[in-house]
Amino acid sequence: MLEARGLSKSFGRARALDGVSVEIAPGEVVAVTGPSGAGKSTLLHCLAGVLRPESGEVVLDGRRIDTLGEAELTALRRQSFGIVFQFGELVPELSAVENVALPLLFNRHGRGEAMAAAAEWLERLEVADCADQRIGELSGGQRQRVAVARALVTGPRVVFADEPTGALDTLGGEQVMTAMLGAARAGGAAVVLVTHDNRVAAYADREITLRDGAVLAGVNP
Amino acid sequence: MGNRAISSPRLFIECIVVIMSTGHVLLGLLAERPQHGYELKKEHDQRLAGAKPLAYGQVYATLQRLERDGFAEVAETRQEGGPERTLYAITEEGRAELERWLGTIEPPAPYVAGGLFARVAVAGKAADGYLVRQREAHLARMRELTAEKASGTPARVLAADYALQHLDADLRWIETALARMKEEGDHA
Amino acid sequence: MITVLRMLNRGRSRPERVRAWLVGAGAGVAAFLVCTAVSLADFRDEGGSLTGLALALLALPVAGLVHQANRLATATRERRLAALRLAGAAPGDVRRLGALEGGWLALTGSLAGSVVYALTHLPGPLAPVPFVVVLMTAGGVVSGARAGRDVIASPLGVTRRPRVRGPRVRDLLLALTGVALLVAGLTLKGGFPIGGKYGTAVAMAAGMVLLLFGLTMAATWLIRACAARIGRRARSPETLLAARLVESDPRAWARALSVVGLTVFFGAGSGAQQAGTGYWHAHALIDVALLLAMLTSAAALVVHQAEELIDLRRSFAALAAAGVPERSLGRVLVRQAAIAALPVCAVAAAAGVGVVVFSVLDIYQARWLVWALTRAVAMTGIGVLTAMLVALAARPLLRGALRLETLRAGR
Repeated sequence: MLEARGLSKSFGRARALDGVSVEIAPGEVVAVTGPSGAGKSTLLHCLAGVLRPESGEVVLDGRRIDTLGEAELTALRRQSFGIVFQFGELVPELSAVENVALPLLFNRHGRGEAMAAAAEWLERLEVADCADQRIGELSGGQRQRVAVARALVTGPRVVFADEPTGALDTLGGEQVMTAMLGAARAGGAAVVLVTHDNRVAAYADREITLRDGAVLAGVNP
Repeated sequence: MGNRAISSPRLFIECIVVIMSTGHVLLGLLAERPQHGYELKKEHDQRLAGAKPLAYGQVYATLQRLERDGFAEVAETRQEGGPERTLYAITEEGRAELERWLGTIEPPAPYVAGGLFARVAVAGKAADGYLVRQREAHLARMRELTAEKASGTPARVLAADYALQHLDADLRWIETALARMKEEGDHA
Repeated sequence: MITVLRMLNRGRSRPERVRAWLVGAGAGVAAFLVCTAVSLADFRDEGGSLTGLALALLALPVAGLVHQANRLATATRERRLAALRLAGAAPGDVRRLGALEGGWLALTGSLAGSVVYALTHLPGPLAPVPFVVVLMTAGGVVSGARAGRDVIASPLGVTRRPRVRGPRVRDLLLALTGVALLVAGLTLKGGFPIGGKYGTAVAMAAGMVLLLFGLTMAATWLIRACAARIGRRARSPETLLAARLVESDPRAWARALSVVGLTVFFGAGSGAQQAGTGYWHAHALIDVALLLAMLTSAAALVVHQAEELIDLRRSFAALAAAGVPERSLGRVLVRQAAIAALPVCAVAAAAGVGVVVFSVLDIYQARWLVWALTRAVAMTGIGVLTAMLVALAARPLLRGALRLETLRAGR
């Protein structure tokens, strides 16, 4: 469904990705692991259409996306992808439910409809109590669950998570992972999970290990 | 995968559980209420999920040892049509011993010092390929344990957590070892 | 203390140097304007004193800009000040450092401005010059001491926005005292009980400053109330975001808009007066001054916009990564400006017309009201438009803020 062939990307003189090819099947959970600076986040951003690779191609459902115009690519990200960042990166000035409703509003759904759907998602992730609180009033785990709700509310094909539990303790991370994967599976979304924590990677169906910007050979079954 | 005696990760958890004294575990179970040998076996296997199931003979032998040391006693012997069933109970001395054991810390032994470390110590840089495969095996086992956690009983989740954290420690050691070997290779 | 200040100055970055120049130059321009205004305040000639008033009015946005620039320092200096606090500096030390720096910059700036004034007005009165310099320096000290408040509160540099409180009688009293001083200066003219005509000028200047502070505080409350209302009803995500952003930090908007509001107030007021009276020459001059004041206050808005983008960059970059178009985020900035500026400008314009009309209600003719109201609406429009244009101009800055790198660096 989502496929990358021979991705390369440099930042200045540093080569972040060097001919990386990966394939992600519908509904699959894939962990991208490797030491710091191996190119994990760069791969995630290239797959998610946030960064454009210098060479190679990214294909979603047979359609090449890395060559799309900025407007089309932005719309595609908004409709087909969801992103969860390490620190949630929610809008602190909005309440939790407004944060979750935001992607729907940007997809031009009505306010009432968007708010109702957002409230439902918060309930599903067991943070309905915090719906009207500002982000600053939430704990790290609650914040991440709100971020997961925001990423999933549009019914994306793929959810990209960049160290989603990086700022949480073991139990908090476990709750966020279970909630995220449960919700993604229920919606049929594939998950690409960047992490350096093996216990988090163990939630995935399989693993892609990067080292020095390339897929480590002989690791995948 | 060239299966040259890779120490199975499952073996690992078993090692950990064997270190614990079965006698003390049974004492702990008896402290809750008097039980038959068969009940004790069932309870043990459920509580220490992931460990090797206890053989009935081992339960019997252990109980006799506990009785000999004065930590447990026969509370009741009944025979209702079936085989003879002996109900065991904990003694005051047994409670004291249990208390002592619960208060004693395990020597923080490096569990890694098993086959995993021995191989690397012997083979040095040549262990590179072995470590990569070992890492894969560890990860596969961690995936299984994580999946088990989703549907397991609380006791099973605790046992899986214990195994997961130890496997993770191994894995981190493996990754550091691989990185060090690569660094040495780069310098050479 | 001086040693620490010297050490800090040696290590400052380019933006900080620019900021220091901005503060110094602003103080210089303000000093020049005030000196010229005082020299023009000749109360035998009404036209001359009106021109003087216009010039004094111009000094206000410049002073506001200086304070803004001092505040922008918090964004660039924050980490360094926080490090100072962690290294054991007491809150008082940090405040003193800020005061010393602000005062020093204001002193050198206003001295330079005075020298320019003295050279260009050789025959003019030089008596008020030292007084103006002292005033400017004091202003710099106060502004500098207050600039780093967030850091002073916590050595970890965590900026916790103070909760906005409701309107207080004190705010209203400040504004009323300011109006009273202004009116007294205008009506008593040369006959001011203390200090003669200079006393009048000083009283009027003080009145304007008080009015400005009072209005800023009242505006904070007004902006928050309006933004909360708009946020509750917003149908589009842009309006929702804009309203919530304004609602969460109305104080900064009030500060940035205070001079815009004041300009609208005077513009509407002078419009109401023009309808009935003569002095066309002086009125035209006031209009020119108002226009310049509006332009200068736009600079204060630019500084505020830059400051705000620094705050917003993380959540905006995340939104952009999640597929929110840059255009929409640009629209958020413009709508924010409109949401904050509209209530302030509308109330200021209404107040401007009201003050003039009510003071001469017995002779005011209904047909003059048409011109007065047209002028009031036009001033409101100009005020809101200025704020929106500044937001529009900030789009290139936004593009820089949206780069993904902002998310990669940890907190």
